[in-house]
This record gives sequence, C-alpha cells and structure tokens, in this order.
Amino acid sequence: MIVHAASGDTWGIPGPTFIRYYILTAVVVVAIAVYQRFRPTAGPTAATADPLGPQQVAYLNGGPELAVHAALGGLRGSGAIGVRPDRRLTTVGAAPTGLTPLDQAIHWAAHQHSRVKDLPQDERVRTALDQLRNGLEQRGLLANDTQRARVRFWATIMIALLGIGVLRLVSGLFSGHPVGYLLLTLVPLLIAVLVLRRVPLRTRAGRAALRGIRQEYTHLAPASAPAYATYGATGAAMGVALFGTASLWALDPGFAEQAEIQRQAASSSGWTGGSDGSYSDGGSSGGDGGSSCGGGGGCGGGGGCGG
Amino acid sequence: MTGPSGVGIGWRPEIAGFVAELPGLRFVEVVAEGVPSSGPLPHGLAQLRERAVTVVPHGVRLSLGGAEPVDPARVAHLASVAQRLDAPLVSEHIAFVRAGGLEAGHLLPLPRSREAVDAVCANVARAQAELPVPIALEPIAALVDWPDDELDEADFLTEILDRTGALLLLDVANVHANARNRGADPLALLDRLPLERVAYAHVAGGAEHGGYYHDTHTDPVPAAVLELVGALCARQRPPALLLERDGHYPPAAELRAELDALAAAAGYPAVT
Repeated sequence: MIVHAASGDTWGIPGPTFIRYYILTAVVVVAIAVYQRFRPTAGPTAATADPLGPQQVAYLNGGPELAVHAALGGLRGSGAIGVRPDRRLTTVGAAPTGLTPLDQAIHWAAHQHSRVKDLPQDERVRTALDQLRNGLEQRGLLANDTQRARVRFWATIMIALLGIGVLRLVSGLFSGHPVGYLLLTLVPLLIAVLVLRRVPLRTRAGRAALRGIRQEYTHLAPASAPAYATYGATGAAMGVALFGTASLWALDPGFAEQAEIQRQAASSSGWTGGSDGSYSDGGSSGGDGGSSCGGGGGCGGGGGCGG
Repeated sequence: MTGPSGVGIGWRPEIAGFVAELPGLRFVEVVAEGVPSSGPLPHGLAQLRERAVTVVPHGVRLSLGGAEPVDPARVAHLASVAQRLDAPLVSEHIAFVRAGGLEAGHLLPLPRSREAVDAVCANVARAQAELPVPIALEPIAALVDWPDDELDEADFLTEILDRTGALLLLDVANVHANARNRGADPLALLDRLPLERVAYAHVAGGAEHGGYYHDTHTDPVPAAVLELVGALCARQRPPALLLERDGHYPPAAELRAELDALAAAAGYPAVT
C-alpha cells in the first residue's frame, strides 16, 4: 500500500495507521461482545434443579403470554374454569389443589369474570408472571437485566465503531483514497453487529433446557392428536407450553373460540414479537423490545396458525 | 426379537406418552399402515425399541379375505415394517376391506364357505412368501352370519390355520360379542379352537346398543370379557394379551386400572 503525504490524509491520520488500529479495536470489541453474548451464566445447573413445570417451560418458550395460555390450558384441562356466552371466564366448582401462583391468579381473575385478553393487565397475574421470570433468571435460563444491559452496551460500542468506519469510508471515497482494506473490515463488522445486536432472552442453558423438554414431550405435538384426557391437566398445560395455543384449540375448541384465544403454534425461534403487543410495556421484557423486535417478521403475522 | 409376552397395549400416537411411561411393559402392537417404511420411526416407537419392547405390526388393510390376490405393495410394506421394528411376527385379519376395486373402509366378515377358505389360504400363502416373519390371523366380529355358511366359526378357523400354518390372534372381545349376539356359549367356541396356536390375544371394550353388543374399542372392558379372559387362561394361557383402545381415551389412572385388571384376570404381572 502506498503511503500518501500527510497533508492529504483523511482526518490527518494516514490510511495504514488508521486501518491497523481500526482492525485491532474491532477485533477486541467483537471478541468482548461475543464473550458477553455467549458466556455461560452462573446458576444451578439443570441437572441439580427441579424439573421445569409447564408454566416455566411456557415462559421460556413463548414469554408471559404463553405462560398465561399454558395456565389456562391446565385449568381448563382439570375443568376448573369455563367461559360464559359473553366471552368472560368463569370458575367451575372449587379451586383444585396444587395450583401454582399463576394458576391461582388466573383462577381468581376467572372468578371475577375477567376476559382472557385482560389477564395480562391483571395485578395478581402480573405479579405471578414476574415471579416466574425471576425464578427462570435465578436458574440461569433467562438472561437477567444486568446480562441484557451488558450485551446492549457492547452492541452500542460496535455500532459506534461501525459508524466511524463508515464515515472514514465516505470521506476516503470523496478524496480518492484507497478504501479496499477498510471496506473489507467493515463487512464482517456489520455482520457481527447484525448478529450480536439481538439481545438474548434465553441463555444457552435456557435453550438447552427447552430442547431437552421438547424431546421429552414430542407425544404432546398436535400432529399426534394427543389424548388430553389421558395426559391430564399437566399434559394439557405442557402441550400449550411447547406447541402454542394450537394445543389449546385441540384440547377444547369450544372453550378456545369462546374465550377468544388466538390459534397459534409456538415458534421455536422465540417470543420477541408479541402478537398483540400487550406485553411490550410490561416490566423487563419491554426493555429489549426495541432491539429484539427488529426483525419484524417474526411472530405477530400469525404464520404459525395451526389448521 | 422376542415373541410377545405378558400384558401389552395397542400403541397409538394419541397415547404414546402414556405407553412410554409403563415401567413393566414388554409388548405393544402398532397399526402397520401407520408406520412409514422409510424415514424416521415415530419417536415413541423408536424409544420402545430402544427399551427392547417387542412391537408387533398389526395390518388392517391387506384384505386377506378378498377374492382377488393381495396387493403386493401392501404385503411389501408390512414386510418392511416388520423388519424395521425387528418384529417377531405380524398380524392381520381374516376379513376383506375391498372388492371389485371398491374400498369398504373397514373390515368386513367373510361367508364361512369352502370357497372363502380357499381364497383366504391362497392370500395368506402369497403374504407368507414375502413376509420375513410368521403371521398371526385374527377373526373379526360379525353381528350376523352369512346365510350360506357351510362351516361353523371353529371349523372355519381351524381349517385356515391348518392349511396355512399361521398362528392365531384370538380376540376375546369378539368371541364374547359373537356369542352374546347369537345367544351362543363363548366357552363352547373356546373349547373347539386350537388354543395352542394362539400367538397373543386381543382384549377390548365395548358397549350394548339396541340389544347387540358392539366391539367399539372406545369403551371400558366389561366384566364379562375379563371373565372370558380368565376362562381362556384356565384352558390355555396365551403368551401375551393386548389391550386395544382406539379412541375416547380415559384418564391415565383408568387406563392403568384396565391394564391391571387384564393382568389380574390372566395371572400376568402388572405392567403399570
């Protein structure tokens, strides 16, 4: 590479010097970002902890909305709740025993004749959902706020670095300086930004746990037409947790329709684009809504509707 | 591959998770037409095979009792499924499901004539030539008899088994249904069947409608059928008995209780 006279250098820095430091910085920043993104998180390993319940699995798989639907599936599976002609929930008989806090909150809301779509705004339901999320964060299955903030911070640094590079590229082009090496550096950096900018909701342990549970419960896939009467309330809840509200429709189409539950298969790609946006302002999950929803096409469109 | 033994249950995708959790299970049966001849096996079946549980393919579409020769493609499929599952035997019905190019959609009984025996034996021989394992034949329930029956049920079956060398898949609920609907004695039939040729027995639930007993497979096993299981085992206990349930699946506890009742009636260890 020919070193040009100092007077012609962009920003007064010679090209070779700039590119050397630029590449070095980019490599270090990307390395740190990768480390922050993929480092194993502390917390009890899956082997030592209790097996995950259907609502925990649902939260991990599809966020707070799916956790609510899984609880509805379990409560409906045990015949504890019903729906009235005015599309409001109602309870049938006394509350069953062994309910989780989320079950209890939803059972109470059903007792108050709440609508399914209003459940997320219910105070008790929100508290129970926060409890679920905290439990999953403590077990290292969901990324907590600190982890997410760290990922976001390093993503911002990468974007800033990319910005400097682009500015240099543009000025270099205008002043006729060679920009080949810079361009070659910017392309991988852009790819790194695109990949690492997404804030993970599940940790690696969380993804592994979900994979294992999917393997274990393939018999609940809607394609098998699972006999929910045989699998019981827990089976119904786990079916919804893993395979989305399509399972709720298979379990009890009359209830699902009357209660206005959207028929949706849970996508394995995650739950970043809530279907109705009602959770986008709900606590911590709102924080990363902006960045992780970037893809747009993800979930809301209803591409996964099970026939 | 070991032959079917003890108490088993018909494996259906709908209850695969229930079947997978039966600790003492050594034997299941699967509808052969539901198993692909290539590609991955259904997950639950593959798991059972890993546990060395015997899986017997049970054909329902071969139409062994049809006047025309069995479809070679259907026989080939049954053979490949038997191979894939490392099955010790396969089973099919003595019935026809299509005639003259028309599909009946379900199993139809044959007239018990010499001509029918010849047709069945010819088709069984064609199937046996292609199958890697023995075949067990299952007579089906019929609400009424054909008017031109030349043979009674026992002679008809014995004749077919003798001429083909096939094993018998005895459906206890059918024996009960046929006797009940004709006012006959089920024990008299048992006494005349070649019970030593029974590979395994089917036991299923049914219900009474309009004075007839229907072998529904979607109702609980009635006490009378369990009693007949006991009577059969007192004469010659089959190596294995299989609970068939094809729909309207009850809660797991009820299904386990049915399996336990069957084990108790046959004197086999409980699989639950």
